[in-house]
Amino acid sequence: MSQGASDLSLTRRRRKPDLLAWGLGLWVALFMTFLLLPIIAVVVVSFSSATYIAFPMPGLSLRWYARIFEYRPFIDSLITSLQIAIGSAVLGIAIGVPAALWIARSRTTFAGMAANLLLAPLSVPAIVLGFSLLYLLSALGLGISFNALLISHTVVSIPYITRTVLAVYRALPPDFEEAASVLGATRWQTLRHTTLPLIRPGIFAGSLFAVLISLDNLPLSFFFGTAQANTLPVVMLSYMQTQFDPSIAAISTVQMLIAVVALLILNATYGIDKLTAA
Amino acid sequence: MTAVASIAAPAEGAPRKRGRFRLASPLWAAPAIIFLLAFLIVPLSANLIRSVTLGEAAQQPFAYYQKLLFDAYYSGIFLNTFKVSLITTVCTLIVGYPVAYFMVRYAGRWNGLILFCLIAPLLTSIIMRTFGWRVLLARRGLLNVWLTDLGLIDRPIDILNDPIIVYIGLIHVMVPFMVLSITAVLQGIDVRLEESARVLGAGRWQAFRSVTLPLSLDGIATGCTLVFVITNGSFLTMLLLGGGKVQTLSLLIYQQFNLTQDVGFAATMGNVLLIAAMACVALQGRFLKRKGIKE
Amino acid sequence: MISVPLGLRGISKSYGQVQALKPLSLEVAGGEMLALLGPSGCGKTTTLRAIAGFEQPDTGAIFIGDKDVTELPPNRRDLGMVFQNYSLFPHMTVGENVAFGLKMRGTARAERDERARKLLAMVRLEQFGDRQIHQLSGGQQQRVALARALATDPKILLLDEPLGALDKNLRESMQFELRAIQRRLGITSILVTHDQEEALTMSDRVAVMSAGQIVQIGAPAEIYGRPATRFVADFLGTANVFSATAVAEQGAGLWRVALSGGEPIEVALTATKPLSPGQQLTFAVRPERLAMGSPEGTGLPARIRDVVFRGSFLTYELDIEGRDTPIFVYSQGRTAAAAGSTVRLNWEPDCAILLEAGA
Repeated sequence: MSQGASDLSLTRRRRKPDLLAWGLGLWVALFMTFLLLPIIAVVVVSFSSATYIAFPMPGLSLRWYARIFEYRPFIDSLITSLQIAIGSAVLGIAIGVPAALWIARSRTTFAGMAANLLLAPLSVPAIVLGFSLLYLLSALGLGISFNALLISHTVVSIPYITRTVLAVYRALPPDFEEAASVLGATRWQTLRHTTLPLIRPGIFAGSLFAVLISLDNLPLSFFFGTAQANTLPVVMLSYMQTQFDPSIAAISTVQMLIAVVALLILNATYGIDKLTAA
Repeated sequence: MTAVASIAAPAEGAPRKRGRFRLASPLWAAPAIIFLLAFLIVPLSANLIRSVTLGEAAQQPFAYYQKLLFDAYYSGIFLNTFKVSLITTVCTLIVGYPVAYFMVRYAGRWNGLILFCLIAPLLTSIIMRTFGWRVLLARRGLLNVWLTDLGLIDRPIDILNDPIIVYIGLIHVMVPFMVLSITAVLQGIDVRLEESARVLGAGRWQAFRSVTLPLSLDGIATGCTLVFVITNGSFLTMLLLGGGKVQTLSLLIYQQFNLTQDVGFAATMGNVLLIAAMACVALQGRFLKRKGIKE
Repeated sequence: MISVPLGLRGISKSYGQVQALKPLSLEVAGGEMLALLGPSGCGKTTTLRAIAGFEQPDTGAIFIGDKDVTELPPNRRDLGMVFQNYSLFPHMTVGENVAFGLKMRGTARAERDERARKLLAMVRLEQFGDRQIHQLSGGQQQRVALARALATDPKILLLDEPLGALDKNLRESMQFELRAIQRRLGITSILVTHDQEEALTMSDRVAVMSAGQIVQIGAPAEIYGRPATRFVADFLGTANVFSATAVAEQGAGLWRVALSGGEPIEVALTATKPLSPGQQLTFAVRPERLAMGSPEGTGLPARIRDVVFRGSFLTYELDIEGRDTPIFVYSQGRTAAAAGSTVRLNWEPDCAILLEAGA
């Protein structure tokens, strides 16, 4: 065995360098730099001690992180943003998952239409949805409020959750549920002990998407913001239009860290590989 | 004997009709359908009505649509919106396809790192990424400082107020969608197909052009639709970069809403954007259907 | 355990225009293992799924014992089922899988753990209770699936191609093990399979299905030795089918018949039903029942086209004058007759199986 292996290594010829692979590799390296550079620049500048944004930076400080806590709207809107993102994902799960479970196993025209309806918000530009919803919700007396934000973000979270759950559940053979029911499980027991655990990766992946989209959905949010309840991107935009200081960099970095931590926790509890493998 | 007699009835009686065993019933979809009818279909329909009844449309229903299509200023913006989206789509495709190809065919253990770089921007806000370009490209930003230090330029270049930066910003936001759409399809293409083309005498480029590229067309279609539609609807990049030189419908809606409050006209522009988006998605659906991807 | 009989009385099922199951009646005795055998699309799976409650038959009734379960959902029929790909829950351990049915019935934890242990011991996997499903081999998964199906003491055991996913050697040993457990427990069982060897080895009776109905039902030896139709003869093993015309009875059911095609050659067969001279008939002879003699002897003249070494026996492919399809002969002989040589074919009259006309 080892004899054979050494023979092989003796006769192996040096491979010619693959120019195409190297060229593509170089392109990808440039591409990754392009993707990450602006983000890194923001993180770097958030530690600047200057009141303006310019290079070279005069020194390092954490004053812009302190500034976040002084300027109440940043913290308040961050909390609102998180509440809206998580709230709309939870509502999206509650409404979207049962619908997806039916659609995935049905072949009727009606189910096809329902699927199109549930996925439709994906192709409606957020600014159009926000603008249209504003008038309806005002007529319903919800106008600009926390609830209006929650409803509008739920409209967008439903398709993201439905889409991944549909994909995961369609790939899941019905045998598991049939096995559970032959073994004596009622419909609810089958749902609780078999179906939900098996589609959980899909639910989590979809909700994660929905949360990330919601956190950054300025075109939708800016129609509904009030002085009491505003989301972070709206506050950041209005701040940026008057001032150009590194506090925007600091709050951006904080927001990114929250997303990264959420992702890491999710990874530790469920494993990203499980999310994608499903 | 009695058992046999009792079963004779159902056997000969009216046939039962009940579907196969299923967990969920149509009722399970009711909340979602009602919610979306109420908060998606109703408001969008109301918007449609608003665009032909309010303001200038009160006298002449299609006044706003005429204004948008035939007024020199507005029709310019109308066309510009699609020009911007088209250029962005083509650029992300050119930038992204090689990356997707590399990820699927060559990356190996680097795949995780590249995937991370594609997903990392999703964890940040668009404001952060736009802000990043301003930091890099401002008059005293990183790029100008470096270029000056290297002696390549005498005075800072004002790229930040050039329309090109809008495209850079848009490509930066959109390219992960393109790459992920294409890799999803490329992964499903058996390397052996390309190899058999090579064995049959095709050169590397020929094998790619005649086998892999056509097979990855649906990934390209999905990616292009996604990028085109999202770009149509975005205004933040145009608002914060390029010094307001790139004007599009979305940005105009934002401005109309914030400044002039011309509801009817904003509704009209919204409808046009919506129709464009639906047309794109329908076109993509037809494309996939023609190729027999969807059932 | 009390063995419970199963009765299917006139059940049928259509999907749109396609009739998957023509009205079918079948009584399975308590403790009996019955195989539903047939090619894919013959209706055997639909029958099994109707018994399980996954499909509602359009007409007819299903009885377990003397209870009509037709309208009951699967979870209230008291069944055990082994699925084709086992369908073991990937998010549970081996032990949790086995105890699942008891948990659904609200059995206390200690009791169901004890029961799961007992069943895992029965399938010789007592050490595997805490393993994850994906850590098991195919054969082990198969045994866990069996333990899970039996854990709730079901009245009927349904086996849907239970050994289909295993390789050949494992499949053979599992056939015996499964059969032994089923006999010991005396549980009424339905085995769905397309593998004739599996059906013959494992079951008390075999029901051969085709196009939504049962074509023949009987003990394995009977089905194999006396197939009623050409379909059954072909589906169970290899059969050489001949068309012939009855010539004359030679007493005690022994008939001389003339083979169709080419020169009329007369052979003898034992009729299992009344024949009259001049009647058209088809009959089959199993390849292992054919004997090859020297060309100078009597019998059907044939020419050897090819010889294939098959391990424990030899397969000869022979041509007969005026016949398109070759004749197969299995021979235990140690020396092969050469391809191209001529021989004479003979068989005992009672080895020729009269088939029903038409099918």
